[in-house]
Amino acid sequence: MFDDRRDRLEARLAELAAEVEFPATPPLVALVGERLAQAPPRIGLGRPVSRGLALAMAATVLLAGIAVAFGIGVGGLRLVFGPASFSPIPSMVVGPGLGAPTSLDAARGGVTFTLRVPGLPELGQPDRVYLADPPAGGAVTLLYGERSGFPTDPASGIGLIVTQFRADIGPDVFEKLIEGGVRVMPARVHGEPAWWVAGGDHFFFYRDAQGHIVDSTLRLASPTLIWEEGGVTYRVEGAPSLAEAARVAESLD
Amino acid sequence: MGGVGVAEVEGRPLLEREWIESARRGDASAFEELVRHYQEIAFRTAYLVIGDADEARDAAQDGFVRAHAALGRFREGAEFRPWLLRIVANAARNRRRSASRRADLALRAFHDAVSGDAAPSPEVLLLADERRRELLAAINGLRVDDRLVIALRWFLDLSEEEMAAVLACPRGTVKSRLSRATARLREAIGEASDV
Repeated sequence: MFDDRRDRLEARLAELAAEVEFPATPPLVALVGERLAQAPPRIGLGRPVSRGLALAMAATVLLAGIAVAFGIGVGGLRLVFGPASFSPIPSMVVGPGLGAPTSLDAARGGVTFTLRVPGLPELGQPDRVYLADPPAGGAVTLLYGERSGFPTDPASGIGLIVTQFRADIGPDVFEKLIEGGVRVMPARVHGEPAWWVAGGDHFFFYRDAQGHIVDSTLRLASPTLIWEEGGVTYRVEGAPSLAEAARVAESLD
Repeated sequence: MGGVGVAEVEGRPLLEREWIESARRGDASAFEELVRHYQEIAFRTAYLVIGDADEARDAAQDGFVRAHAALGRFREGAEFRPWLLRIVANAARNRRRSASRRADLALRAFHDAVSGDAAPSPEVLLLADERRRELLAAINGLRVDDRLVIALRWFLDLSEEEMAAVLACPRGTVKSRLSRATARLREAIGEASDV
């Protein structure tokens, strides 16, 4: 071990240590978990590895690195890991990213996909319906106020949000920005791959036709289930648990 | 942000051994615990080696993925942290592309350093802050190898064994490298001045 005796310079270095700023630690638990989920079964490295196999393994690591660098894609949505480059509005009730208020029937006619509505009896009909265009094909957001089993967000009064849009739009159109402390877990909806994003702060936004960021965050730090089904990307935000979110998701009709 | 070490947490070594054993048997949540507890020290080590936050994030990921694949080779009873840091540092070195991208180490915002009711006067604080900045600037101005060895020792508080793992050198070499780096730092700040 090192000698514990410290001269003045070493004392200054020890003092300086508390003041040195390192970049924020990225959410490695989620990132590594995703990499391992994509990786092939573990190969015992105790025995010699052929050159071909070694190259194949290197390629796998490289591809996984590229996948992480560009985020995790779900249809037209990208999960982006990193700090926010803009300031979301924490108490936003109705953001510009939602589009214009409309009715369910009008929304059905305004999108190029089949609009689906949760069929859970406790939810009933949405309190508000918004239609945005762009993105191409339209995006519909259903807002629910207080419902049994879906506690409301005190800032917005919103209990549940269901958003849907075409999954074949450019991968950079919708983004979900994920910061430290957020857990991203793989899940399933009707057997399709899904992601459960919970904890910490995460923001939902898209880029408009001019490339400007439009914040469509409704509830900060609200757990969100995201998946793609039949060429449509869905998000269910505000359900108190993954099980509840999945129940909403699988009730879409 | 929490501390970067784990040795101070009572009972952790036992837990750590359990996590390692479970992870070797394929328990994903056990490996997740290992990542959770070592992510900060792994990322910071990679950052010091590579000098770029994005590259360090990817290198730390590479390191954990490689460690997961190599768990079967981890020697029972050995220290996990140096073993992991060796893998992370290797991953960082593999990603290191250019020294010109290396970011300087920075100090926390001034107000973060002030705490307590009996805070010193603003003049004293400013003077202390200035001295810290001078010292850090001198460290940033050192050659890359010297800066790394000083930062690992003093800013990450790594043990000699851990430093040897990160620097990929024998333990006996760590002390001499640190000694030479410290001497050059003394020279940079002017040993004759108040050090």
